[in-house]
Amino acid sequence: MNCKTARVLMSAAVDGELTGKEEEGLRLHLSQCSDCRMEYEEAKKTKMIVKEKIVRFKAPQSLVDSIMDLSFTSEKEEQNTLVSE
Amino acid sequence: MTRTDPTRQSSPEQKKNTLSAEEQKKQSEFQQEAVVHLNALYNYALHLTMNPDDANDLVQETYLKAYKFFSSFERGTNCKAWLFKILKNNYINRFRKNSREPGKVDYDLIKDFYHTIKDTRRDSSETETDYFHTLLHEEVYTALQSLPEEFREVIQLCDIEGFTYEEIANMVESPIGTVRSRLYRGRKLLREQLEGYAKKFGFNTETGR
Repeated sequence: MNCKTARVLMSAAVDGELTGKEEEGLRLHLSQCSDCRMEYEEAKKTKMIVKEKIVRFKAPQSLVDSIMDLSFTSEKEEQNTLVSE
Repeated sequence: MTRTDPTRQSSPEQKKNTLSAEEQKKQSEFQQEAVVHLNALYNYALHLTMNPDDANDLVQETYLKAYKFFSSFERGTNCKAWLFKILKNNYINRFRKNSREPGKVDYDLIKDFYHTIKDTRRDSSETETDYFHTLLHEEVYTALQSLPEEFREVIQLCDIEGFTYEEIANMVESPIGTVRSRLYRGRKLLREQLEGYAKKFGFNTETGR
């Protein structure tokens, strides 16, 4: 495997989405190429950065309440419809 | 001795008891399987619409639809992925097919939020010499937002939400190979952006510091 192929595979490698054969090929290449090893570490880091640095917003309480209420409300409505029929 | 008046308004608890066992089961299963993903869905909706009101509506619609069609959810599969798919479809229907633009992007809200977060989190990154670790939330967010939507979307679904390629492929209605190559290309662009920030702030990216 050459460096170009290895670099394309790295993205899927950090996600654990390589086939067995690809993984084997990449591992072999990394064991022989220090540049690609460094590159692979960077690829892992980029994934971590996105995961860690992107702020998660909390759903507003009003939305939480309305969703929590949703199943109950729609069941009630269904029930009322049945009763009135 | 008091007798229950059947015409009297019953309490919610009593009403609940009037539901059939099957409906009660559906309700509690829905709470356990679907409602737990509310925050993730809200964030996805925010990223898609960039507007809190639109995100709110989108999540509400999604849950309404999900509840209605909960019987079609294949038990044992990823409920979060199922909900994301519904939300994405709703989004397309609302904002694309009707050629309706999402509401105004609320940059101020997002900016304010990042400013408060930045101050509270800065301490932890001060000990890090690695330039990636000195990147701020706002910078990573801006870099991600600057990517073409098809790249941003897959990165978000993969790195932030943790979906598998197969799940993402199903959500974005593209082959797995496309998801894979979009991730590769998107990450390449993202890294260029991030390194741009690092350089701007005087970090030497060549040495990895």
